[in-house]
Amino acid sequence: MKFGRRTFLQVTAGAIGGILLSPLPWKLADDSAIWSQNWSWRPSPERGEVTKVPTTCLFCDGGCGLEVHLVRANRAIYLQGNPLSPVNNGGICPLAAAGCQFLYAPHRVSQPLKQTKTRGDLSGFAPISWEEAITELSASLSKMRTAGKAAGLACISGATRSSMFDLWRQFFAAYGSPNLFSTPCHADSLKLAGRLTLGYESPPAFALERAAYVLSFGADLLEGWGAPTRMQAVFGQWHQAKPGATATKLIQIDPRLSMTATKADEWIPINPGSQPALALGIAHVMIKQNLYDADFVNNHVFGFEDWTDGDGKVRQGFKKFVLETYPPPKVAELTGVDAVKIEELAKTFAAQENSVAIWGNGAAETANGIHADLTFFALNALKGNFKAGGMVSLVPTVPLAPLPEVQLDQWAQKGAQQPRLDLTQAKKAPLPGNNVYAFIDVLKNGAPYSIDLLLVHEANPLFTLAETDLVKSAFSKIGRVVSFSSYMDETAVQSDLILPNHMALERRDDVVGLPGAPYAFYAVSSPVLPPRLDTKHTGDWLLQLAGKIGGSIKDSLPWKNYDAYLQSRVAGLAAAGIGAVADKAGIEPWKLKPGQHPKANFKDDKDLWKKLTTGLCWYDAPIDPMQDLATKNEKYNLACLDLQASGLKVSEDRIYLPHHAALPPSGDDKQFPLLLVSYRILPLSDGFLPSPPFMTKTLPDTLLKGQHLFVRVHPETAQSLGLKEGDQAALKTPVGEVKVRIRIFPGAHRGTVFIVQGLGHTAYDEYIRGKGVNANQIIEVQMDPITGMGTVWATRAQLVRA
Amino acid sequence: MKEEIKSSSGHALLGALFFFAGLIVALIIGWIVFPKVLYSEKLQPLDFSHAAHQDSSCEDCHYFRPDGTYSGIPGIQNCKQCHEEPMTESEQERILVEEYIQKDREIPWLVYAWQPDNVYFSHAPHHVAKLECVQCHRDVSTDKDKLPIFYENRLTGYSKSTMKMVECEKCHAERGASNACQMCHK
Repeated sequence: MKFGRRTFLQVTAGAIGGILLSPLPWKLADDSAIWSQNWSWRPSPERGEVTKVPTTCLFCDGGCGLEVHLVRANRAIYLQGNPLSPVNNGGICPLAAAGCQFLYAPHRVSQPLKQTKTRGDLSGFAPISWEEAITELSASLSKMRTAGKAAGLACISGATRSSMFDLWRQFFAAYGSPNLFSTPCHADSLKLAGRLTLGYESPPAFALERAAYVLSFGADLLEGWGAPTRMQAVFGQWHQAKPGATATKLIQIDPRLSMTATKADEWIPINPGSQPALALGIAHVMIKQNLYDADFVNNHVFGFEDWTDGDGKVRQGFKKFVLETYPPPKVAELTGVDAVKIEELAKTFAAQENSVAIWGNGAAETANGIHADLTFFALNALKGNFKAGGMVSLVPTVPLAPLPEVQLDQWAQKGAQQPRLDLTQAKKAPLPGNNVYAFIDVLKNGAPYSIDLLLVHEANPLFTLAETDLVKSAFSKIGRVVSFSSYMDETAVQSDLILPNHMALERRDDVVGLPGAPYAFYAVSSPVLPPRLDTKHTGDWLLQLAGKIGGSIKDSLPWKNYDAYLQSRVAGLAAAGIGAVADKAGIEPWKLKPGQHPKANFKDDKDLWKKLTTGLCWYDAPIDPMQDLATKNEKYNLACLDLQASGLKVSEDRIYLPHHAALPPSGDDKQFPLLLVSYRILPLSDGFLPSPPFMTKTLPDTLLKGQHLFVRVHPETAQSLGLKEGDQAALKTPVGEVKVRIRIFPGAHRGTVFIVQGLGHTAYDEYIRGKGVNANQIIEVQMDPITGMGTVWATRAQLVRA
Repeated sequence: MKEEIKSSSGHALLGALFFFAGLIVALIIGWIVFPKVLYSEKLQPLDFSHAAHQDSSCEDCHYFRPDGTYSGIPGIQNCKQCHEEPMTESEQERILVEEYIQKDREIPWLVYAWQPDNVYFSHAPHHVAKLECVQCHRDVSTDKDKLPIFYENRLTGYSKSTMKMVECEKCHAERGASNACQMCHK
């Protein structure tokens, strides 16, 4: 017998039969299917007990209460609004909803890094220990100080509504440098407007929850204006049917059909940048037809009638100036809004009991022209909105414990003699505030003294500041740049040293006051899980550094850590004995009248701290701006006397008064026949934080497709330029040039190109960078002649098919 | 002629023999060798003894949380309540205390009934339906000091005793519970 072909077939047939009758093939098929579900790159959620930890959101300064869902107390999986918070009532914005992605993003900086090659070279970052970093920095800071170069230290911080900024201020005073700046924002100019009119350096606050008629001069209420989630809640309230009450009417005055405009009761298209002119046109009608609040204006307002200045010169008052300068036909020409419409708006605004004028500053993170802000203040003053319990007041100061007096040693005194770098410009602004752009300008064009060390805290100036290339070249003049970013952002990449802060969910911090909200507010954020990476709280780091530099710095910053510092501040709040903790749902602080303090529901500072650190917020009644008036003449100043006091030689009477003076954008209007205006939307973060991938996914193809950003252009404008939907084009301004694609949009103003803010990151990780272009690259900044602050309203532009 | 017939029937017999030989070898491979090869034998990080914990009730460790989720295998915090310090001379307890409790590490138990991520299983409705634990899990009351070997499927990574979909469906059908896809696959 031999094992031939036949035998082989017989055995094989048997084997096949046997295999088929065994579980082998069936089990293998089933298991391969399961195996394919378990490939290593497939995310698998951790299992275990899910707990909710309340805290305060730090992703913007909107002060929302958050609940973080954690698995086994160490893996954050979900963020939702805290229903106990009176700010957001359980609501949440897209940025916070996607917030977990910041915690686990590949672009986190995992440990302190030092650049060993040239700036910007990612391969040059080498790990350095915290100990080494602090020893090295304290040594060089000490050396700078003793060499009389204390002013060579500068800082740009984005933590403007946090006690962290006060700590920076204390440190800079004790160290002896005047060069501390916060990232620019609209509040910069609003605060000055508050000071000029009411003598109280605080931005205005609006009782929008009670409003019946809202004239919004480009305030993008649903796209990030004020405290974004509060605004969403307010907007919802406006549209709820209430028995016996008429629904709130919103009139949106905007050159672009924005999301807010589409949801408004009426959209009034207007020429870009001409909103102050319209406000003055409305004021004209109100004055001419005696529709203003005569009682308030006659008794509490200075500068309505003609007045005499300190030199005995008679100056024109607001009344005469507006009547002469802003008749509706002229305003119609300036704004593109029909004269009849202006009259109608004025009459309705004046007739409604709870009507209010609010305004915005477009998308750019910059101050507004001071006269524009003063104009909208004035319109509200005519309406009598600043009266006690009126629609407009100022954001109240939170009575936190003040910091101890700064101990100035000889080096600090020497440093303090140096002028702040932005004030060394030849053309000095009479009313300077937070002038980051001027600081950048001076740095670029040659400073009288050098900046040897720049600290960048919770800020990304190389992305968020307009005229990005200019900022970049100013940075190249700085000796060393230290970033405290927890993320590998554009500025961190260009730094010499990165000392990563804990990210928002990992650290103790606070939120002091709400933008645009009339009631007093304070909240503390607590770490919801231990730090994932080798990061350190910048506050702790700063206190440690203060102890190492020498001199009397440590005496001015005596706290052992940041927690102790915050507790000491809260102790002051408890000692003030006013306000209460919002410890149950449904608390409505906006219903409080000025002076009507809620009953304190905390025993002492320890109790208050305990409540605040469990995610509850403190609130108090609004202030009465007329009672807290701090102007010398104890009146609301329509004519800004302080301008004269600041040493400004005023030639024209209108300089004292609110007026329309849009700064002309540079460039030739033949070469650049269009205007470029940027805007923001809620699903795109344009500040310190980038949009996490979850948010980017929500952008429509008509805004971002692949790597292409679409700009909005009116059909007629597009036709005149020979552009069609989806065309690629070069968008050029006197500042720079980018490649974009065209979206035809009838809701865009003619002759204007609208570009969204927040895209075009070049750093972070593959999920964030390379999507669209950064509008700031091509936006021009203009300095307000009064405040010296960088402002943005429009840039001349050309659009050519590419 | 006779011989030829004999020889052809002999061939057929031989052929059948070869066929059955192949069949039997394949059956042995399929039923005995293959399962041995498919599963690797793993031991638990330490031997937990249910018998040694008879002074506790089942619910001390395996309980429903207030939100309705089930604790399953308890975390190290649970063990810590009694075993912060060793209570006996047991080597297994020493491992528990020194390797896990003192280092605050969770014990990487190999879970015999671990279901894949695409299965949404909630204990709560099964508890309400009064199912006995042993209908799905092994009976721990017969446990000796050693925990059973964990047979890990080399392809899928799951335990040999992980319940398959057909078993879920069978019980659901018998009890009139829905077998719609979204009951388990959300």
